[in-house]
Parts: sequence; C-alpha cells; structure tokens
Amino acid sequence: MVQSILDAISLGGLYSLAALGLGLVFGVMRLVNFAHAELITIAAYTLVLTTQFPLVISLLFTVIITVFVALLMEFSIYRRLRGVNPAIMLIASFGLSTVLQRVYELMFGALPRSAVVAPFLRGDFKIAGLSITISSVITIVLTITILLAMGYLVEKTSLGLQLRAASADFKTARLLGVRSNRLISAAFGLSGVLAACVALILVIQNPQISPYYGLNITILSLVGIVIGGIASLRGAALGGFIVGVVLSSLNTLLGNGRVYAYSWLFILVLVILLVRPGGLLSKGTELERV
Amino acid sequence: MALLEVTNLIAGYGKVEVISDVSFTLEPGKSIGIVGPNGVGKSTLLQAIAGGIAPKSGSIIFDGKNISGKKPEDIVRLGLSLVPEGRQIFSGLSVKENLSLGLTGRRNKKGANEAIAKMRELFPVLSTHENHQAGMLSGGQQQQLAIARALISEPKVLLLDEPSLGLAPTVITDVFERLREIIGMGTAVVIVEQRANLVTSFAERTIVIRDGRVQATLTPADAANSESLQRSYFGAGE
Repeated sequence: MVQSILDAISLGGLYSLAALGLGLVFGVMRLVNFAHAELITIAAYTLVLTTQFPLVISLLFTVIITVFVALLMEFSIYRRLRGVNPAIMLIASFGLSTVLQRVYELMFGALPRSAVVAPFLRGDFKIAGLSITISSVITIVLTITILLAMGYLVEKTSLGLQLRAASADFKTARLLGVRSNRLISAAFGLSGVLAACVALILVIQNPQISPYYGLNITILSLVGIVIGGIASLRGAALGGFIVGVVLSSLNTLLGNGRVYAYSWLFILVLVILLVRPGGLLSKGTELERV
Repeated sequence: MALLEVTNLIAGYGKVEVISDVSFTLEPGKSIGIVGPNGVGKSTLLQAIAGGIAPKSGSIIFDGKNISGKKPEDIVRLGLSLVPEGRQIFSGLSVKENLSLGLTGRRNKKGANEAIAKMRELFPVLSTHENHQAGMLSGGQQQQLAIARALISEPKVLLLDEPSLGLAPTVITDVFERLREIIGMGTAVVIVEQRANLVTSFAERTIVIRDGRVQATLTPADAANSESLQRSYFGAGE
C-alpha cells in the first residue's frame, strides 16, 4: 500500500517534469513540440551508452547532448516556422519526431539498447517492516528538487520573468526589450535539461532503450497539459502530476483489468474537459489557444 | 538635427497597404501629435516605427541610424519606446514585475534601481500598489503603469498609442499632465490620438492622417478653431 502511494507520487512527479518541458516551449512559441519525446530518447541513449564513465560524467554528457539537440531543433526547424499557424508547427513537430526516430534507429539499431545505470539505486529497503524500492524514493526526491529549482527560476529570476511575460504576450515583451531568439533558445535549452532529468528517472526504472522510448510519457504528459490548462506552467505541472497519479493508481486498483487503465484515464480526461474546457487552472475558457 | 525622421513611409499587413506615404520629423525634447479617423493606420505607423511590423518602404532615421525593419527589442535599446494601444500591461504579473520588465530594454544596465525609483516618484500610485496584480489596477493606473514601464528604459523618444483610450476625462487630464512632465525632462513624445482637439492643444505640432497620407499639419492655435480642425479631420470642403 505504502509502495503503491509512493509509486503514484513518483510517476506523477515524473509526468509533471515532462509536462513542464513541453509547457515551457508552448508558452513562448505556441508550439506543441511532439519531438520532445525524442529529446527524452536521446538522453536515455546517452545514459545507457556512457555507463563506462562515473555517473556524474555520464549525466553531464547527457545534459549537454540533450540540450544541444533541443537547440538544434529550434535553430534548424522551429525558428524558420516562427509566426506561422500553430497547426503547421504541430505537423512539423510530428515530422521532426518521426525523422529523429528513424535517425536513432540508424544510429543505435531497432533493438533495445540496455545497460544498468546507477545499479546502487536498484533494489529495495525496509522501513517498519515495509519493503520500499529505492528508485521510487530517489524519483520523488529528484522530482521535488527539480520542481523547486524550476519554480525558483520561473518565479524569482529575470529569465523567468521574461518567460512568463513572453508566454502571456510575446509582442509586448519584445517591445520592452525581451530578445526573442535568445528567450526561445533558453526555453528549448531548459526543456532539454528537463528531458534529460526525465530520462534519468525513466532509465533507472527501465533501461531498455528503443527509438520510441520517450513517446509514451510525452503523449501522456501532453494529456496532462491539456487537463491542467495549457496556458500556465503551474497548470502543466499539475496536469502532468494528476495523469501520473491516476495512471499509477488505476494500475494498482484495476488488478487484472489494468489493460483498461488508459481507457479509464481518457474517460476522466473527457469529463474534465467537458466541465472545464480551458483546463483545471484556467480562468474562464481559453479555447482559442489550443 | 532631427532626432526622429520618418520619410515616405509605406507600411501595412500582408498585401494591404495602410500607410501609403507618411513623412514627419521630431526634434529632441519636443512633442508631435498624430490624429485621424479610426482605421487610418495611426497604430500601424507607430508599430512600423517601433519595429512591431516591418515597413514596406521608406526610411526611419532615429538618432542618426536607419532603424527601418529592425527588431523591436533592438529598437528599444537604441532609445525608442512604444506604449502600445490598449496599454498591454501583463495583467497576471505584479506591478513591480511589469516595471522590472521595462529594465530589459535599457542600454545601460547600471542605474536600474534609480530608474525604478524615479518612476515611483513620477507615478506614486504605482508604488502603493507595487505587489498587486497589474490586472487589478484601474484603467488610469494601468495607463500610468504602461507609461512608466516604457520610460524605465530611459528612451529619447516615447511613442504613445491612444493614451486616453477608455479613461474618464479627469483621468485623461491627469495622464496628459504626466506627459507634460516627461517632455519637460527632455523626452520627445509622439502621441497618436482619436481625440483630435485634446492632442492638438497639447502637442507643439499635430499631423492629420487620412487615406494613409499626411493631410494637414496643425498647431495648438487650430485646436481653438474647431472649424479648421473639422475640415482637416474629415476632409470637408475639399
């Protein structure tokens, strides 16, 4: 029971990190970046292919490479599409996502690549007779740390202020001197860092990396963003968390019926959207943004 | 020498040409009004000068540099700041945060605190509401915030797009009083207004735009003469 609750919280936290990465980019560009999945995937590959180095070095590699791919995406594709219809950007991101999956397949093969990352984080320990996995505790601690750091960055720093202003009204922000290219690059860079964090947590739990590794969590955290309210980062994080918790709880509660977990999740999403079309944290309906 | 020199400017959106041929100059520390009926492209003109849209042709020389087609974030750093139509304050951010955003466009990163302190002095109402959400302010307070935010970058030229929009008459008087102080401190001001007599009596010179072109130039003396004002505004008697 305790383990189930911890699992639910840790999955929720993980999804809220993924949702934040997507939300940051959406905020400044009105772009739903499907290729965020491929950022998580490249980070996971880097982690399992650099296990010969100490974990810290391997992590550093991972963050650098993921941020690099994120910036490359922005510079080579999305910068050219700035200001076009969001539907076109969405399709471009689908295309980019598929292309990157093929590239990964060519580079790393279609079969899963695997290695044990941070073996000391596996296994479990006992508290008051209860057996608890180390990874779930580590996940929760990591997630809380990253969420707090992100909260500080967004609420207390000048970069964060610019991100919030640009998310609300990019045109006016630019009139005040916010440098558009630099700010959008920063948002992509941060989403890359978040993707690397997500990959680290995912890889500890499941080190079988295929070209589609990041897809599932990205789609589910997108669902979370829609539930929480796509307009705000707080909403995105909350929505991601809810999806993670609900999905984890459904898996526990449904027992053998867990194959239907996704169906129940999406029924819940539909109900929430019928009641609050703009998302849980929206003030009124903001349908025009979706 | 003119601080701002707009020559044969053509601007619009997509294939639509809104400003067909506008020229004017502005000297340091002076004021110019721009009036004209709704939809003649007064806002388009200001957006083109501030970099919000790229002009189709013509030149905009500011402080000796051609700024035509430059990005808005670069233009504000050169010392030209726009208070957009409808104020466009960030309603979800606090008053303080709105002001801090104005710091982004400063050429000189030093003196930021002094600049904010100066705005508090000029607009005392803003410091009493410092930590409130900007969206909770009244219309007049929001207008003051928008002006203060644009002034924090210490511009040489301040462009204002309909500062009287949606404000009560007494509040309008108050806002224009502040603008007079700002001009007194050496900032040149361009004011776009629908209320022709208000701005004509305020600015040293006012140009009337109709059909995308400058139709007439008015002085404060014309403000008293409602007939000449009406004629130039609506083109009656042509």
